[in-house]
Amino acid sequence: MGEFPSVADLARALREGGYLADRGLATTLYVGLTLDRPILIEGEVGVGKTEVAKTLASVLGRRLIRLQCYEGIDANQALYEWDYARQMLYIRALSQRELDADDYSASSVVEKLFGPRFLLERPLLEAVRAGRQAVLLIDEIDRADDEFEAFLLEVLSDFQITVPEVGTIRADAPPLVILTSNRTRELHDALKRRCLYHWVDYPDPDREVAIVLTRAPGVSEALTRKVVAAVNRLRALDLAKPPGVAETIDWVRTLEVLGETDLDTRTVSDTLGAVIKERDDLEVARRNLERIASG
Amino acid sequence: MRWRAATSNGSPVVEQPTAASPEPRNDDVSDRNDDHRPIEVTAPGSAGPDAVMVAVLVDFAHHLRRAGLTVGSGEVITYCQAMAALDPTNLVDLYWAGRSIVVTRREQIPIYDRVFRAFFLGETDDTAAPVRAQVQTLATTATVLQIPAVDPGPANPEEHQARLGLMASTVDILRDKSFAACTPDELAVLRRIMATMRLAPPRRRTRRRRPAARGRTPDPRRTVREMMRRHGDLPALRWRTRRYRPRRLVLILDISGSMADYSRALLQFAHSATRASDRVEVFCFGTRLTRVTPALRRRNVDDALARAAKAVVDWEGGTRIGDCLTAFVRDWGRRGVGRGAIVVIGSDGLDRGDPDVLASAVERLSRLCHRIVWVNPHAQPVGRSPGRGTGHGYRATTLGMMVVEPYVDLLVAGRDLHGLEELAARLAELA
Repeated sequence: MGEFPSVADLARALREGGYLADRGLATTLYVGLTLDRPILIEGEVGVGKTEVAKTLASVLGRRLIRLQCYEGIDANQALYEWDYARQMLYIRALSQRELDADDYSASSVVEKLFGPRFLLERPLLEAVRAGRQAVLLIDEIDRADDEFEAFLLEVLSDFQITVPEVGTIRADAPPLVILTSNRTRELHDALKRRCLYHWVDYPDPDREVAIVLTRAPGVSEALTRKVVAAVNRLRALDLAKPPGVAETIDWVRTLEVLGETDLDTRTVSDTLGAVIKERDDLEVARRNLERIASG
Repeated sequence: MRWRAATSNGSPVVEQPTAASPEPRNDDVSDRNDDHRPIEVTAPGSAGPDAVMVAVLVDFAHHLRRAGLTVGSGEVITYCQAMAALDPTNLVDLYWAGRSIVVTRREQIPIYDRVFRAFFLGETDDTAAPVRAQVQTLATTATVLQIPAVDPGPANPEEHQARLGLMASTVDILRDKSFAACTPDELAVLRRIMATMRLAPPRRRTRRRRPAARGRTPDPRRTVREMMRRHGDLPALRWRTRRYRPRRLVLILDISGSMADYSRALLQFAHSATRASDRVEVFCFGTRLTRVTPALRRRNVDDALARAAKAVVDWEGGTRIGDCLTAFVRDWGRRGVGRGAIVVIGSDGLDRGDPDVLASAVERLSRLCHRIVWVNPHAQPVGRSPGRGTGHGYRATTLGMMVVEPYVDLLVAGRDLHGLEELAARLAELA
């Protein structure tokens, strides 16, 4: 591969970019880059799935193109859309002969109307055009309906998009594609087979401390260690939404802002909102304050 | 230098326990050049995948397949290509590349780990024995179901049968006959009737739009086309409207001892439901919750039920409704299965757990889903209840039912075919 001769080099580059990838993730990314395969990253909320794509883009010096999925997303929002407002104005102007168009024949007008000037590129088309220059992040694919997934599979298999009025646009070299999923539903096997799969787990405590120190430079390491230990105790409780790494970082930052240097039942109780964001979970956590603070 | 596989801290990774690196960590990627393990690869670092490597990986794929993972030849080719780019003599590369290609969901990771350890590290497979034992117990539970349990619930079956007028077995009489009192043959008849039952899950409005004759949102695409056709004139706007889709239907069925006679019928009902719509999820619970949706996706009823029975491990045990509903909310409901869905719970509410757990579970569930329907074969059809859906027509008799009643939108009996038909009809009305 061009950019990185080995997995270790890729991992090092990511670390310099501010992302600590474990060996498994680094290998998966390396293989994906080498074989031009999309990478599907699943994992609990807040373990840094989206961050992978962002860091990778900046490390590779590529443009990050992000497609945020949501229920009801369709081809128009993902691929391309015609700029209808401008088209209407243009037709209007043409019909009043206000434009100084040299050719008013029907075929030429249609060609102009449905040409690149009126085409609004949406993320997928943008990514196909950018090809190797882009990292395409398809975020939270599990939120989109399954029809959209089938459509996406088609785009991901050959990286070419046909706009009937314009023609087929093909990527000279496919962009790096990273899909993330929170597993709110099971994805279709066909899509998964197309991708390399990686499950991101919560990092072990040492690594989590390292991640926090990388993402929030300047915070005290002693405090971070205590917070990471407390977060791990929280994860052991039966919570609906166990705190992710993002919450750990938030919590450390919150404590820093408040000027706290230690974690006791009072500080935990005061700042619990930074880590636990569900009322039922708050109750569970409050019942176990002693255990969380001291361990 | 020796390799071993570590299964500590839940995430099994291959790590290096040698003195060379004091802290063996799976993320330690800087010193990967000195962690070679001589497996049968002739030319380490050669450009292409050589024949020996391919042979080894194909053999590994065979083992994975035998363990139940889907490994097509496409995956094997990708694996070989990946190893050509990586270091084929490096066990860590071998592990991660294979895992990213072969594994497609989290649950498969332990299987992959087991096969990998056995294949590349020659570790004797200590987990195999329990797995085999488990398969055996599953097989026995399956046979338990295949003999339809029609041991009559009441102590004196004769009187019960007399009251129900059992002697005739026409469909009309069967229709109102309690499932508990049916003979295997009668159950088979009911099953056939049930298979013809049409279920129409209520629909919900989606965010997708489709072209329509009238609507609230203009359809610019069609409008522009129309304008072009008319040389710039705009006679009338074109419109789009919201699409409708069936709501998700979630059936959570009690299969504990007290429900045994009815749960089979409910499971058959669930099978008809999965045939009617692809947005149906079915769970069974006794002491713990099992998802049986994949098992029920079979055309043949008997086949589907046998598979579902295999999936469930605690037939006719005790009931812990609260814990099981909590598990549903935590593991499935919040993930999206329960959101906006119609949740049908089939249970008599005889809970051996803590009523508080049950109450909070149902409360959470009611906040998550669209409607809760409770099917209780033992419900007493009397009077109006003060619950959320007023006028259930049934009285709560057990503590469990009293606890959950405020959150239940619709309570139906479902003790016989007639009751299930009523359920099917009323499901469609729940908007």
